[in-house]
Amino acid sequence: MAKNIKDIKVGDGYTAKEEVDKYRTIYYAGASGDFNPIHIDPEFGQMVGLGGVILHGLCTLGFAAKSITDWTGDPGALKKLKCRFAKPVHLGDVITTAAQVTAANGSRATLEIKVTNQDGVDVLTMVSAEVGE
Amino acid sequence: MAVDKKFIGKKYGPMTYEIGWEKGKEYARAIKNEDPHYMDKEFAKSTKYGGVIIPPTFAVVYSGHLCMPFFMDPELKLDLMMLVHGEQAFEFFDVIRPGDVITTAGVISNIENKEKLDTVSLEGTSTNQHGKVVCKATYTFAIRKRA
Repeated sequence: MAKNIKDIKVGDGYTAKEEVDKYRTIYYAGASGDFNPIHIDPEFGQMVGLGGVILHGLCTLGFAAKSITDWTGDPGALKKLKCRFAKPVHLGDVITTAAQVTAANGSRATLEIKVTNQDGVDVLTMVSAEVGE
Repeated sequence: MAVDKKFIGKKYGPMTYEIGWEKGKEYARAIKNEDPHYMDKEFAKSTKYGGVIIPPTFAVVYSGHLCMPFFMDPELKLDLMMLVHGEQAFEFFDVIRPGDVITTAGVISNIENKEKLDTVSLEGTSTNQHGKVVCKATYTFAIRKRA
């Protein structure tokens, strides 16, 4: 069921997890059209000092977006989303999205979000979203 | 060489993208988000949208096409080897559905010259076939300066 936006209160929140499986960058490259070799070619990733392929930052942000729309139960309730791509995400990483409502006025709510890997490192920073009617 | 601030306001596009359901589902699977709003026609009929919709962040596909002419702009001379996607912002104004025809116009909305890098922001405004703005997506790239 879709969440009623006017019921969202400051302090509400959730945590979600997503594992970056071995083939995730291949799926994302195909679906998005972003075939930059840093995402699909492990040898290239080694050569440029990334220690193998890294996940598309927009895929990590896609995981965060999923966590929000799972929480609201309505994809159309997502009104704003932004982030800075801070650290690379590697295959096998487990990404945790932890969100907390910092403002709510009955028709809109602001979420401040932490997106970290299994070592607690912020892979995205300055992540925030707005949900609304 | 620093990216010249005189390029703030430079326009790219407009470019048009026709939304396909199968492509939307493929994208949803890629971000591990098989929400029935995107995947299940029967379920979607019962929602307020009355049919399937496309994941909001699919905006990176229909508006992301703008990045290519921007990257390749001979006037801008971006040092692509030193470029990384630094920040992303979206504003969503309406849902996207299969069959929508989305036209995106781009503009360089900001350039900042910092000590070790420049940042350049490309803002894409996407409009559907009914003339309604559905999304604004801002791609901010950081271009590190060579030593």
